[in-house]
Amino acid sequence: MADNEELRIGVYVCSCGSNIGGVIDPAEVAEFASHLPGVVLAKDYLYMCGDPGQNMIKRDIIEHKLNRVVVAACSVRMHEPTFRACVAEAGLNPFLMEMANIREQDTWVHAHDPEGALQKAKDLVAAAVAKVRYVSPLQMITVPVTKKALVIGGGVAGISAALDLADMGIHTYLVEKDLSIGGTMAQLNKTFPTMDCSI
Amino acid sequence: MVDAARHPNIEILAYSEVTKVDGYIGNFRVEVMKKPRYVIEDRCNGCGECARVCPIEVPNSFEMDIAPRKAIDVPHDQAVPLVYAIDIDHCIRCYKCVEACGKLDAIDFSQEPEFVELDVGSIIVATGFETFDPAVIPEYGYGVYPNVITAMELERLSNSSGPTVGRVVRPSDGKTPKSIAMIQCVGSRDSRFMEYCSGFCCMYTIKNALLLHQTYPDMDITILYMDIRTPGKGYEEFYNRARAAGIRFIRGRPSQITEDPETHNLFVEVEDQELGEVIELEVEMVSLSTAAIPQADTERLSSVLALSRSPSGFYMEYHPKLRPVDSPSDGVFLAGAAQGPKDIPASVAQGSAAASRAARVLTSDTWEIEPIVAKVWPELCISAQGKKCGICAQACPYNAIIVEPGQPAQIIQAKCHGCGGCAAECPHDAITQDHFTDAQIVAQIRELLRENPEEKILVFMCHWCSYGGADSAGTSHFEYPSNSRGIRVMCSARMDQEFILEAFRRGAGMVLVSGCHPQDCHYITGQQVAAKRFSRVPRTLERLGINPERFRVEWISAAEGEKYARVITEMSEKLASFDKEELRAETERARPAIEKRLRRWMMTPHMAPFLKDEEEQEVEKEVMA
Repeated sequence: MADNEELRIGVYVCSCGSNIGGVIDPAEVAEFASHLPGVVLAKDYLYMCGDPGQNMIKRDIIEHKLNRVVVAACSVRMHEPTFRACVAEAGLNPFLMEMANIREQDTWVHAHDPEGALQKAKDLVAAAVAKVRYVSPLQMITVPVTKKALVIGGGVAGISAALDLADMGIHTYLVEKDLSIGGTMAQLNKTFPTMDCSI
Repeated sequence: MVDAARHPNIEILAYSEVTKVDGYIGNFRVEVMKKPRYVIEDRCNGCGECARVCPIEVPNSFEMDIAPRKAIDVPHDQAVPLVYAIDIDHCIRCYKCVEACGKLDAIDFSQEPEFVELDVGSIIVATGFETFDPAVIPEYGYGVYPNVITAMELERLSNSSGPTVGRVVRPSDGKTPKSIAMIQCVGSRDSRFMEYCSGFCCMYTIKNALLLHQTYPDMDITILYMDIRTPGKGYEEFYNRARAAGIRFIRGRPSQITEDPETHNLFVEVEDQELGEVIELEVEMVSLSTAAIPQADTERLSSVLALSRSPSGFYMEYHPKLRPVDSPSDGVFLAGAAQGPKDIPASVAQGSAAASRAARVLTSDTWEIEPIVAKVWPELCISAQGKKCGICAQACPYNAIIVEPGQPAQIIQAKCHGCGGCAAECPHDAITQDHFTDAQIVAQIRELLRENPEEKILVFMCHWCSYGGADSAGTSHFEYPSNSRGIRVMCSARMDQEFILEAFRRGAGMVLVSGCHPQDCHYITGQQVAAKRFSRVPRTLERLGINPERFRVEWISAAEGEKYARVITEMSEKLASFDKEELRAETERARPAIEKRLRRWMMTPHMAPFLKDEEEQEVEKEVMA
C-alpha cells in the first residue's frame, strides 16, 4: 500500500463457541481492540471461521474499506489458510491478515485464571494489531512441480500408496530398505478378521 | 506385492535407503543408497541354484531368526524382487555360487554402495514399525526359557510357508504343545516401557488362537489379557467366535513365568482379577504379544526429512485430528504404522489417504509457496562498500546468498526457504525477512510489554516446533500460568540477539527463546545457528548488569505440549521469586547501555519509531494523521 494511505484495521474476536467464550468475554476484547491505533472497527462473533463469520469479514472489508485485518481466534496452524483465503476473496492481499492465538495458547491453557486469560488475549490482540500495521502485501511464489513421487517403505501402507499414485499416472519410486517389499504383512499367517492370506 | 512389481509406473528400489533430501514441495531431490547385493539384478533370474550350493547358513530375519537361510539367498520364495543377495559378513568366498550361476554370470563381488538421485514432487513416509524385544522383561524369561516365544515367531511357525511348514512345535523338543498361554500387552501399556496401547495385538492374538484351535482342536489355549480391545468392524464378533470356540480368556497380567527344567514346561503366575486370587497355570508353550515400537531408523530419517516425532517415538502428524496424514514438512506425508501402531485395514486406508494428499500436489503443474524470504537493504550492506563480510552467506543453510565484493549481498529467492537466520546474523542489520521484519517483531515486543512488563515472560517461538508445542499444550489443556506472551517467527535462527535485548530494555521479567530440537529443524542448520548465538547471550546480559537467570533457552518439539507447559510454569515460579523493584532497577541501570547497543539497529528502515517512546508517539501521530 502507498505510504500515505490511511490505516484501516478491522479486528475480529472469535468466541469459538465456549472454547474461548467460556473463559473470557470476546466482546470485552473487541471493545479493547476498538481503541487501538488504526482500528476502525472491532467485532466479536460466535464462530468466525463459519460462513457467516467469514462473510461478515468480507463485507466489512468492502463496506468499511479495511486494508488490514486481525483475527483473534485459534492457532495459525489451524485457520490461517482459512482467513487468508477469506480476506483475499474480498480483494485484500492475504498477507495483510494477522491472527492472534487466543485459544490454544490462551483460553485452553488458562481456564483456571479467566482474569489472566483476558489480559493475555488483549495483549495478544494489541500485538497482532501492532504487527499488522507494518506488514506489506506479498505475492505467493509459484514453483513448478515434478510429477513423480517417492514412497519410503514397501509395507502394506507404502504399497497401497504407491499403487494409488501409479494408477493416477504418477511415476512412483518405492524405496525399501530390506531385500524384498512386503513388510510385516508378508510375514503373517492369515489376517483378521476374515482369515484370508496376507500376501 | 506382485501388483506393485508389475505396475509400469512403479519403480522398486529394494535394499535401498534414503540418505539425503534437499528441496521443497514439488521439487525434492532425494539421494538413495542402493546397498550392494553382490548379485546383478538384471541378470539374476531367481532360479536359486546359488543358494542350493552355498555351504553357509545364517539366521533369517524374515523367519524371526528361528530358521536359517543361506549366505546367498532370498528372504522367502515370494520375494519381490526375486533377486538373490549375498550376506557378505558371513560369506566365506568359496565361489560355489559363481560356478552354479554359470552362464548367467550374475554374481559380482566388486559391487559397492551405489548412490542414485531422484527428483520428486512429493514424498510419502511409510516405514512401518518394529516389535518390542521382550528379553528386557526378566520375569517372562524370553531368551532364557526356550518355549517362551513371541507372537511373530508363532506367526512364522504356524505359516505353511514358514520353517516348519505350518507345524507349531516347541523349540525345546520339536513337539507340538498340548497347551499354550498367550500373554497380552508385553511392553505396551506398561509404564516401564511403552505407555500406549499397540492396538492390534488383541486381534492378532485371537486370530492366532483360532488358527491353532482349527489345526489342533485339542490344544488348550489361554489368553491372559488386561482388556480386550476390538473396536474395528467385525472385530468384536471375531472375539465372540473365539470365546464360543472354547478359547479361555483370563483377565490378569502375569507377574512371573518359571520353568520346569526337565520338561521345559512353563508355570505362569497371574492374578485372575475376576476370581480375585493368584493362580498358576502350567503350559507347554507361551507366546508373548509384544508392543509395536518405532523402527530403529526413525530418528535418522526424521532428521533427513525434518520430521517431528511424538513422545511415543512414531512420526508426528501435522494435526492429530484434522491433518492426520500430513507431516509438518510441506509435501511430505505419513502412512501406516510409521505414524503410530495400526492394523492392516487402517494402514491400507492411510496409504490411500497419503496418496490422495500427495496427488493434490503431483497432479498440479505448479504449486504456490509462501513468499517469506530474506531481503537486503543494499545501502546498509558493507559488502556494497567493498568491505569483506559474507556472514549472511555462512549462516544460510541453502546457499541462497551471493556475496561479491563491491556488491550488496544478493538473495536468490527461489533458493531461500525463509528461516531468517541471515537477518539475525548480519552484524550491520542490513537484512530483514518479509512478514517477520524487525519492525513487525519489535512492534509486538512493545505491545506485549506495554503494561507490567516485569510480571511477564516474553517467549520467542519457532513456527514448526515450539509454537506447535504451545498449541499442543492447548489441545491437551495442560494448564500453566497466564503471564507468558508469545511471538512467532519461522525458525529460532530468526531470533536476533537484539530482540532479546529490546525485550529487556522494555523491562521484560524473563525471556524464553525456544525452537526445534536440532534433529527436527526445518531449515537444516537453523537451530544450530541459533543455539550458537544464544550461548553468548548470558555473558552479554551479565555485562549489561542483567541477571542471566532471566533468560532461558529451550528446545521444544511440536509434540511436547507437556514440556512447554512445564517450562513456562518453572519460569513463572522463578519470576515470582525475583524482587520486582530490583528487576525494574536492573532494567533502568542497563537501559543506557542497551540503547547504545541498539542505536544503529534502530536507525535501519522502519525502526526509528521504536527506540524512544517519545519518538514513537510522534511517529504514531504522523501515521494516524
